[in-house]
Amino acid sequence: MGAAIETKNLTKSYKSKQGGRINVVDHLNLYVEEGEIFGFLGPNGAGKTTTIKMLLGIIYPTEGEGYVFGKELGDMEVHRIISYLPEKPYYYEHMTGLEILRFYGSLFGIKDDDLFKSLLEKVNLAGDMTKTINQYSKGMQQRIGLAQSLLNDPKLLFLDEPTGGLDPIAHIEIRDLILQFRAEGKTCFISSHELSDVERICDRVAIINKGRIAKQGPLDDLLKGGRIEITATDITEAFSKTIQDKDAIVSFSHGRLIVDLPDDHNPNALLDAVRSSGGTIVSVIPRRKRLEDLFLETVSGHDGSSVEIPNPNDAKEGAEA
Amino acid sequence: MKKSKSMLIGAMAVLAVGQGLMSSGVILPQWSKNYKPRAEGIDGQLGPDQLLFALAGFRELIAGILWVQADRFFETGNYDAILPIIRLVTLLDPKQIDVYSTGMWHIGYNFTDEEQRSDRRYIPSALALGKEGATKNDYTYEMFFETGWMWYHKVQDDFPKAVDWFLQAQEKKDMQQARKNVLGMAYQRNGQPDKALETYLRLYNESDALLKKEQIYSHFQNKETLEKNADNTLIRMIQRGWLAEQEGTFDQGSYDTKPPFDVQFSARVTVEEARVIRVEGFWGVRPVGTRVRFILRDSDYPDAIPGGMLWDKTDTVSLDPPRDRTWAQDELFVRNQRFNRKLDLSKDPTMYSFLQPEYTIEFYYNPRVAPPHIQDKFGWSGEGMTDKNFLRTDVREGSRVVFTQLTLTRDQILRRGEWADKVPIVQTKNFIAPRNVRTEDEILVTPGMLSEPLEPKLNKGERLGGGEN
Amino acid sequence: MRPILSIAGTTVGEAIRRRVLLIILLVGILFLAIAPGLSILSARQERAVLIGLTLGVIQLTSVVIAIVLTVYMIPNEIERRTIYTILCKPVQRWQFLVGKYLGAVAALALMMAMMTVVLIVVYAIQQQVYSPDQLAPLAKAPVMFFVQMSLLAAVAIFFSTFVTPLVNFFLSGGLYLIGSAFSSFFESISQSANVQPFAKGIATFANMILPNFAYYNVQNPLINPQQAIQNETVYYIQVTVYGLFYIGILLVGGILIFDRREV
Ligand SMILES: Nc1ncnc2c1ncn2[C@@H]1O[C@H](COP(=O)(O)OP(=O)(O)O)[C@@H](O)[C@H]1O
Ligand SMILES: [Mg+2]
Repeated sequence: MGAAIETKNLTKSYKSKQGGRINVVDHLNLYVEEGEIFGFLGPNGAGKTTTIKMLLGIIYPTEGEGYVFGKELGDMEVHRIISYLPEKPYYYEHMTGLEILRFYGSLFGIKDDDLFKSLLEKVNLAGDMTKTINQYSKGMQQRIGLAQSLLNDPKLLFLDEPTGGLDPIAHIEIRDLILQFRAEGKTCFISSHELSDVERICDRVAIINKGRIAKQGPLDDLLKGGRIEITATDITEAFSKTIQDKDAIVSFSHGRLIVDLPDDHNPNALLDAVRSSGGTIVSVIPRRKRLEDLFLETVSGHDGSSVEIPNPNDAKEGAEA
Repeated sequence: MKKSKSMLIGAMAVLAVGQGLMSSGVILPQWSKNYKPRAEGIDGQLGPDQLLFALAGFRELIAGILWVQADRFFETGNYDAILPIIRLVTLLDPKQIDVYSTGMWHIGYNFTDEEQRSDRRYIPSALALGKEGATKNDYTYEMFFETGWMWYHKVQDDFPKAVDWFLQAQEKKDMQQARKNVLGMAYQRNGQPDKALETYLRLYNESDALLKKEQIYSHFQNKETLEKNADNTLIRMIQRGWLAEQEGTFDQGSYDTKPPFDVQFSARVTVEEARVIRVEGFWGVRPVGTRVRFILRDSDYPDAIPGGMLWDKTDTVSLDPPRDRTWAQDELFVRNQRFNRKLDLSKDPTMYSFLQPEYTIEFYYNPRVAPPHIQDKFGWSGEGMTDKNFLRTDVREGSRVVFTQLTLTRDQILRRGEWADKVPIVQTKNFIAPRNVRTEDEILVTPGMLSEPLEPKLNKGERLGGGEN
Repeated sequence: MRPILSIAGTTVGEAIRRRVLLIILLVGILFLAIAPGLSILSARQERAVLIGLTLGVIQLTSVVIAIVLTVYMIPNEIERRTIYTILCKPVQRWQFLVGKYLGAVAALALMMAMMTVVLIVVYAIQQQVYSPDQLAPLAKAPVMFFVQMSLLAAVAIFFSTFVTPLVNFFLSGGLYLIGSAFSSFFESISQSANVQPFAKGIATFANMILPNFAYYNVQNPLINPQQAIQNETVYYIQVTVYGLFYIGILLVGGILIFDRREV
């Protein structure tokens, strides 16, 4: 399998309010394998949308280069086999769902009404295809967006904040669609500032902050460092003293024991010991890392780079370069 | 991309040159001829285009609304307010002939002093408006006719101008048949009875043809009138010796115009009070019908000529006559061989500002404007008229006129300085005051008291009142 | 070609639903309908006033529609991000721009055709003439106005590739006014004796490069039928070709700018 996306020192700079230039995307090196679900994660204003726009050829890099399926950015042949679901998209409000698909289909030269209808079914809009877009809910608009992004049976999908502003049920629907894409061998490039069920299915993620990659790798690896909390009762004080693990945080009072372990420690030995000492296990709760924790870790310089959290208000896109 | 970019720039350059050439080489001249907005300021003095082009299509409407408003001002006599409206309306919609003709008439006739003397300073503007209206509406006779009429009836001088306008009017398809007759009258006023006769006969034939085509009374009536006019003209050409003169046999026959009659003109001007002037004098013609033109004007009045001015020198329609200039003109009506008239110029300071230091008084009589019974003696161009002192043949081409000038100073007219309590009097050297006669009324009831009664020989005196159409 | 037509079609669909445009159009039509009641002159002028007024209404309405329609077209696409979903498809930027322009022109054609129909109906009723021979010439001016508006739309599209809608509104509107008046002004300058040759040169140059909107104001002979025009059709063709040249320049210029434009 080859590279779906590859960037080398991809950089975009804008005039900053203070007068100088600021690298919104800063010497970005990305590599996305074909067939992969790639999560592009970062707080608001990190430069995710800017990166996607550059990859699509809508805006132009200040420096560096990028390739999609080995072709230069903005290549029209590539545009035939990719698609893009912008964040918070609008569609021509006067058109019906079906007309939207017809319009976007015509841009590819596709005139196949059966295809359009099957796509509408796929995104659960078959019953609403004769309604105009201004009668669609936010979720329906997102889904018609997905449908249009599937028109050309793309090999690579850019999904910018696909769950933004949607309810949890919609999250699940989108997650299922993406899983289906993976099954079909499509590559997905998903940008997000949160870690919902959708992002959790990513094969690999990159965490971007202030235009730079802070961490990259399989999600599970990055989320390592969670903890497990074990609660037991009917414990003697003597038993509590026997817990040897130096990474464990132990608290005991009135026969109630709470042990907080790093999640890479096997809790079995402890659980067995509790039981054999006559104690009762009340609960075993794994505490996974949240994306926010990860962002916080990266931005507060745990990995050496000192960066601050950008003001979310800065994340608004200006109209002019 | 680089390559296609330079290609596009090349294409742009080619198109740019192409449009530039088309625009200035091909389209502009045609546009300028046919489609240019008509409402440009005359002489570029007003540029309503620049102001109003956004309303381009609404010009006609705005013109209409304005004209309705002007109508209201006419009713209330607010003449000063009408003038700018007329100008604006004609600029906005130069196809409004009614506004041109009404406007011209209004400017020419409606501005008068307290004694109904019209303000001649406006005449050039009126004529300019007529000229403009004719140019902008050259598809119809109307403005040509109206402008000719202004020369003929208001200016009453320079009749070649009237002839010229009437001739142009005749060429228009829509010229009314009956109005064509006026050309004959203009020819007579211009001392060309042969042309007048020719015109009458031509129109007579036209009427005849029309009558054959359509049996309506107006054709019949017009035919009758033309027949009578042609008759009269022919008789006069004979009796006044005009034909004989053309044939060189004038000396041999006896004609009404022989020998020339001496009118013995004399005049005196008295400044009775400040800006109040009495003009009196002698004119040795006994039958009524003589009007001697009297002009009191700045000596350096621009474009003034003896007995008038170059009325149509300007093409500018001015809303404001020259306020610092004075031009008073009147006709002195002769009764019982005397004229005596008091002109009170004190009530209209805007018309008679008397701001210049020196004033010229002119007396001017051109037999061409005389009524037919007087022309029977004097001829069309004054062949039968003379004056020992004041006959001039250099003042109007082809016409023998009586003309003289006197001078007054500003101080004399305003009765200031050394003239504060002296009565300024200027007079022709031959003036002899009538005895005990001071007012017009007295002259009328005591004709026998004139100093030197004269007996003019007027053979055709019986034909007084024999008018013309 | 297909993408261009699709984009044009969508643009028309959107334009004819835009409420501002519909209101402007409605006001225009309303004025056309009541125009006969405003003709307040003598019988001789009535026809002239009616035609002058109604053509003026059509022209003014069309100018406003053309500008309002086009100045927001590209910026709206960017603001609503619909442009992204189009440009990430196999659609070139020039195709997008040309499609948008053609859509604007088609929408204008539609609206102007509507007004022209109303004009003809109003005229027929008011003047009691029903023969097509007499009514058809009335459409001449609107057709030329349409070319004029197409040129104006090209001006606005060109500016919209690099200025904001508000600035564009004044730029395009201003250029329309200048282009409508300049040739008159130029004529008086070039004929005037007391203008310096340098100023005349500048005026000549400006007259050559400015879009001469005045060329399309062909209503004079319609208002005053006495005026005889020679080679009318040739003139119409010439000014149309001139317009196409100019539109070409503006579109190519717009494409060159838009191609490097960040959206
Ligand atoms: N056209 C622009 N001009 C100036 N700054 C911009 C522009 N577009 C984006 N930015 C800035 O770039 C940064 C990254 O924006 P973006 O890529 O939209 O972030 P996100 O990761 O939320 O998608 C933000 O701070 C934003 O203000
Ligand atoms: Mg974003």
